[in-house]
Amino acid sequence: MTELTTAAPVLAKPEAVRQRSPLYFAWRRFTANKAALAAGIVLLIIVLMAIFAPVITTTGPNDQLFLTNSLNFPSAAHWFGVDDLGRDFFTRIVYGARVSLGIGFSAAVFSLLVGLPLGALAGYMGGKFDWVVMRVIELFSVVPPLLAALLLATVTRGGVWAIILIAAVFGWKDVCLLVRAQVKSFREKEFIMAAQALGASPWHIVWRHLIPNSVSPIIVGFVLAIPLAMMLEASLSFLGIGVQPPTPSWGQMINVGMNFMFFYWHMAVFPTAALAVTILAASLLGDGLRDAFDPTLKGR
Amino acid sequence: MTGFIIRRVISMLVTFIVVSIIIFLMMHSIPGGPFDGYDMPLPDDVKARLMATLGLDKPLWEQYVRYMWGVLHFDFGVPYQSPGESVISLVAHAWLPSVTLGGLGILVGAPLGILLGMAAALRRNSWIDYIASAVATLGLTIPVFIISTGLILVFAVWLKWTPASGWGEPRRWILPILAYAAVPLATYARYARSTMLDALNKPFVSVLRAKGLSERQVIFQHVLRNAAIPMVTIFPAMFVGIATGSIFVEAMFRVPGLGAYFVSSINKRDYPLEMALMLMISALYSVSYLIADILYAVLNPRIRVGGGRR
Repeated sequence: MTELTTAAPVLAKPEAVRQRSPLYFAWRRFTANKAALAAGIVLLIIVLMAIFAPVITTTGPNDQLFLTNSLNFPSAAHWFGVDDLGRDFFTRIVYGARVSLGIGFSAAVFSLLVGLPLGALAGYMGGKFDWVVMRVIELFSVVPPLLAALLLATVTRGGVWAIILIAAVFGWKDVCLLVRAQVKSFREKEFIMAAQALGASPWHIVWRHLIPNSVSPIIVGFVLAIPLAMMLEASLSFLGIGVQPPTPSWGQMINVGMNFMFFYWHMAVFPTAALAVTILAASLLGDGLRDAFDPTLKGR
Repeated sequence: MTGFIIRRVISMLVTFIVVSIIIFLMMHSIPGGPFDGYDMPLPDDVKARLMATLGLDKPLWEQYVRYMWGVLHFDFGVPYQSPGESVISLVAHAWLPSVTLGGLGILVGAPLGILLGMAAALRRNSWIDYIASAVATLGLTIPVFIISTGLILVFAVWLKWTPASGWGEPRRWILPILAYAAVPLATYARYARSTMLDALNKPFVSVLRAKGLSERQVIFQHVLRNAAIPMVTIFPAMFVGIATGSIFVEAMFRVPGLGAYFVSSINKRDYPLEMALMLMISALYSVSYLIADILYAVLNPRIRVGGGRR
């Protein structure tokens, strides 16, 4: 008996070391990646700007308060100048962040709502269901997304909700593939077999075991869907079949700005810069998260 | 090998037919027809007669079969926006600017990207590696029309080095070519870097070095050859990028090419032209991937999927 009591502390000792969760290591890897961290901070600032837009600027995005100063260059009163319709351009850009991020975020949510259950079920059930899902995804990969989105946007004639749904139609497959791969690799693990042996229903296994184990691909898929949707919105709005005026959208502002570019450069520079910075920040953040969660994918 | 190619071709054809049906149905689900515009109010009987001449009163499947039969004979119908000519003749005079500028874009972008990616792989974590990854990230994340706006602002508006838009004298081509080059440049900068690194980390490289080959021989005779396989196989995909990019580049630089017609066909609800362009691009897309797959199988005997000679 005495032997046992003396042996116990020795055995217990390794357990005294704090267990680190995979999320902890992911966070460590993420913060070590300077570019992704900077991108995250920039994106956070833009998100805060979008949320607190009415606090940052007092004028409304569609108020034509400065008609007599139309097309004025940037000044102390109008940081980004005034646009052709007498609206404060800084206000337009700040509210544009709302549209761009709002669409990016909502589209990512919808992509997740479709892609997650489909990916999880396809990965878990395999067989016919998997085959059908994969063929559908293959169909989506034969048509260039931007082109098909153009077609869908002409069918719907644009509008915020149409754009969100279109972006989700082309965003779900990435989430689906990521989740499917993860679920497939977990399907054969012992704890799943144990759950099956205990008589758990497939739905229970997917919901309680497989999806919680797919948190990292889900987060990565979600974050990477945001810049794609923003890009789509900007591209469609640029062609005039996206978000309709007067709702401020950066893509649309670039389209208008093009016509003024040669003299009133501020009309093109600011929306271009805003869009470039936001999309770049969002994708760098997504790439950083992907590398943090799955270091084996780094540099792909 | 033949079996592999035949199977790939069949699966490509099936996918293409499904895609064409989807495109066809989508185009027909667009509310409003070519004669519903408010600028052209027509009496109902005239409209019915026009619809009958254009075959738009037949059941959908018949319209589809008739359409695809025509497509097989390069007859894509008559564009609603200029009824005097056929879609194919319109495409025939619009392809030149797109192909010239896009082709030159690939010719400029791809080699530069490969060089950049190779240099980055050989000098890891040096300044050139950082430049390569910055170029790759910028080019792959930022939409083409943003890059185009940036190019026009810097080179045409501020520096006044080149004209900003138009088609004709080659001086006007410079900026659109640079815009087209962005995507191949970025893709290859990233891709060449990662394939070179993959190849450099293979055990055979250590063997070659141990054997006493010079670093130059190791890289140019062995690593490069192995890295070239994946690089060749993504080349066809460049054309697809150019085709999609042309819509924006041509709108930005006012080039009268296929992309510009695509945009005008959308705005004018010109079904025949829009469908023809969609089908052509989807066909280009499928054929590009088919070629990529076949190239991959030919160049890399290890990956001959099933059916092939062992």
